Amino acid sequence: MHALATGASYFIGLFQEGGKVFMSLSKGILPTVIVLMTAVYATIDLIGEEKVEIWAKKASRNIITRYTIMPILAMFFLTNPMAYTFGKFLPERYKPAFYDSAVSFCHPITGLFPHANPGELFVYLGIANGVQQLGLPIGGLALRYLLVGIVVIFIRGLVTEKITAFLTPRVLGEGYTLEALDAQGGE
Amino acid sequence: MTNKDPNEKTKFAKFSNGIATFGRGIGAVVNALYDGGRKTIDMMIKNVIPFIAFIALIIGFILKTGVGHAIATGLAPLASNFGGLIILGLIVGIPVLSPVLGPGAVIAQVIGTIVGALIVAGKVPPQMALPAFFAIDVQVGCDFIPVGLALGEAQPKTVEVGVPAVLFSREITGVIAITIAYFASFGMFPGH
Repeated sequence: MHALATGASYFIGLFQEGGKVFMSLSKGILPTVIVLMTAVYATIDLIGEEKVEIWAKKASRNIITRYTIMPILAMFFLTNPMAYTFGKFLPERYKPAFYDSAVSFCHPITGLFPHANPGELFVYLGIANGVQQLGLPIGGLALRYLLVGIVVIFIRGLVTEKITAFLTPRVLGEGYTLEALDAQGGE
Repeated sequence: MTNKDPNEKTKFAKFSNGIATFGRGIGAVVNALYDGGRKTIDMMIKNVIPFIAFIALIIGFILKTGVGHAIATGLAPLASNFGGLIILGLIVGIPVLSPVLGPGAVIAQVIGTIVGALIVAGKVPPQMALPAFFAIDVQVGCDFIPVGLALGEAQPKTVEVGVPAVLFSREITGVIAITIAYFASFGMFPGH
């Protein structure tokens, strides 16, 4: 009987520990995230998607803004996963690079703007929560995550664009050009 | 009197139009805020709180049983220094592994939460948090490349070449990302 009771309290203990984790995660971060997300959703609503599309089209023309401004706009205003629809403003040869760039921003943005990817907050929060429990400020961490994220998505866009160009004749057959890639489905 | 009347009417019409425009503006803002609140709470209930429940269960088990100790001894040496993070990044970025590790970013979130616990336990220095974000996330979106490209209205040949292009690119850019983040973490927590 005693062994059973010990077993039972160990069993319950497993979930009590989980309950404590649940409370610490919900109490510490959720309230701020909820209020912040409300404000951002309202702002996006007031700005409207048409304006953002015009900005994104402008950003698509230049190699630097294509892998910085464009994915940032996409992730902030359309959020994960609709952000990738902005690929439609680009020629085929840039689409893989844009996807790589945009998807790589879906976690760095969550430190300051959790609305962009609320289903995957714990890539940031899991680690940030640990830092916070040490009594350290996490504002600097969130900001640096965002800024380094922007540098990284830019590099990722450039590298993937080059690799796409390199792989096109090798994957799709000798003589298959980037122009042929762009011309698919059109005309 | 007959001269003044129409003039006053237009003034009044302008004034009342102004009031109406102002009222519509206020209404739009209040509506947007209220909609934002509703959308947020929907998102919390559908996505965020279920994930917290899932992760609390996993972490609770890990903390209470011996598993935590085993994972911590395995992960701590990787997460606590630059070389270890590069190795971790190279592993999760392996082109055949990255699409498997990607879905829902579950693996990245679980590893992230464990790294957070290791930071609290003092086994990983807090400034490693920044490079760790990029090391545990080299595989981000690798499971979703065909869908992501399709959302961007990519043609079949583009998907055919785009999938390997993104997968191979990650092994290169993953290392670059961890390196940049490592140097960017200097001076983040003075005294730690």
